[in-house]
Amino acid sequence: MTPTTSPPGAFAELARTAGAWLFGWWRTVHLTALLLVLALSPSSYRREHRRALASHVYLGTAESLLWFTVLSTLISLVVTRIVLVTALSYGLSQYALEMVVRVLVLELIPLAAALFAALRCTTPLAAEIAALRSRGEWDEAAARGADPLRSEVLPRVVAGVFCTLMLAAVSCVVTLVVAYLSTYAFTTEGFGAYTHTVGQVFNPVVSLIFGLKILFFGITVALMPMAAVLDTTPRRRAYTSVELQGLVRMFLAIVLIEVASLVGNYY
Amino acid sequence: MKVDDALSHPAPVSNLEFKAALLLALFVALVLGTVLYLMYARGSFEETQQLVLVVDDSEGVRVGMDLTFAGFPIGRVHRIELAPDGAARIVIDVLRRDAHWLRESSVFILMRSLVGGVSLKAYSGVLTDPPLPDGAQRKVLVGDTNAELPLLVSNARELLQNLTRLSATDSALSASLNNLQMLTERLNGPRGAAGVLLGNEAEARKLATALDRVNQLLARLDGMAVKADAQVLGPAGLVHETRATVLQLNIMLGDARDTLKRVDAVLAEAQAVAANTRVATTDLGALRAEIDATVRKVEQLVDEVNRKWPFARDAELKLR
Repeated sequence: MTPTTSPPGAFAELARTAGAWLFGWWRTVHLTALLLVLALSPSSYRREHRRALASHVYLGTAESLLWFTVLSTLISLVVTRIVLVTALSYGLSQYALEMVVRVLVLELIPLAAALFAALRCTTPLAAEIAALRSRGEWDEAAARGADPLRSEVLPRVVAGVFCTLMLAAVSCVVTLVVAYLSTYAFTTEGFGAYTHTVGQVFNPVVSLIFGLKILFFGITVALMPMAAVLDTTPRRRAYTSVELQGLVRMFLAIVLIEVASLVGNYY
Repeated sequence: MKVDDALSHPAPVSNLEFKAALLLALFVALVLGTVLYLMYARGSFEETQQLVLVVDDSEGVRVGMDLTFAGFPIGRVHRIELAPDGAARIVIDVLRRDAHWLRESSVFILMRSLVGGVSLKAYSGVLTDPPLPDGAQRKVLVGDTNAELPLLVSNARELLQNLTRLSATDSALSASLNNLQMLTERLNGPRGAAGVLLGNEAEARKLATALDRVNQLLARLDGMAVKADAQVLGPAGLVHETRATVLQLNIMLGDARDTLKRVDAVLAEAQAVAANTRVATTDLGALRAEIDATVRKVEQLVDEVNRKWPFARDAELKLR
């Protein structure tokens, strides 16, 4: 019998793991607060930082925008078609459009946008920071008196949030258009009824929850991978596990946000 | 000396800041457009008037649901509140441009269906009535499918109980069916329908005996009929004699006809005699009239003589 497998040893190990887990979340919250302060500070948008910010925002979003628009159009088309045909076969076609708007625009598309932004934008940006740290450039810059958190991390986090919001906005508009075209085809006759249905779904509470959900999705997918790579030292762990840990935290946070939004919308 | 903060240098992009600004502008335009569209969809730019519907139970009614007229949404539930008298007040925003469909005589119905929840409907029978004023308050009629279900279930249960009673082993229907089965068996039995009609075997046997005797009687009647046929239609039968009699009668009728002709002639002569007698009778009348006139003249003459003859007192005139 080894000491680590004895009950007191297992309990101590569990307590250490839980403590580390909680401490990791606390560091994430702390980093979020730091970056929020930096993001709200006008000095972060001086000329010397603005170019890096513009570069990350443009490169992070523009590359994903076209592909995700195409992808969301296809998903919307297929799901809308399935819902319409199914509702028609059950004689419930009057509820089909509302269901499409609720399922696609409110739930699926923002989630898909967040995940796509995480995979295409924020995780690679976090990997860049991890590379800087592994090459020791981060410590050198800090030693020179520069603030790498402001100059390197903040533009990437802002780019990640913007990418998520942009993808969600574009894909929601595209989905609304696709849903209309799938239902009424290329005519303006159904615009009034369609607008009425959309208006019914997006009551003030739902609209507020929808907006907050997308905003928190953006913050989560931008922050979690970045917090993971900033949290650990390159000498102790391999970066792949750090990225994986960041992704797990990100998925957990996304699920929590989604559940909270569902509770707010339907309870 | 200025410190170069940027550690990594992304790939250079021409007009980078302009393109980033373009993306930002696109995002702002999308968000603003969506917000404006949603405000338009929620009717924020439409003028509305209020309508208050009062109902005993507002279960299923939710804020934002439609008030429809002929299937078209013309208003939206704005608020649901409890009135001091315990009734539910459903405050509805009716679009001004559609408010003309609602009249003083309009009826409002809260429909509860099995699928699809609750719906509020308005019916306007007389569209020439005065329009419904702003803030009008109306009672709601409730058409509840779910409320009718218990009654339906109760009726169905009653029906099933009746069916169960009918189909029970000791039920009247079952007894009738048993009787029918027995009847069918007896119909198929040796005595058949006669046994069924007469009830027991003895009576059925009597009937069979009676039938036999009737058959014998009929055979006897048949023999009698043959004999009667010979007597009536035979060579010396009644029909032959009758025919001879008829011939004789015809001859006698011819004689009688001749006799009658002769009698007719006699009568004609007698008629002539009678005519002569009538003429003679007419002449006698004239003669009598003349005699009467003569007697009257003689009487007048005697009366004259008596007046002139003083000694004669007897004035009686005697006719001879």
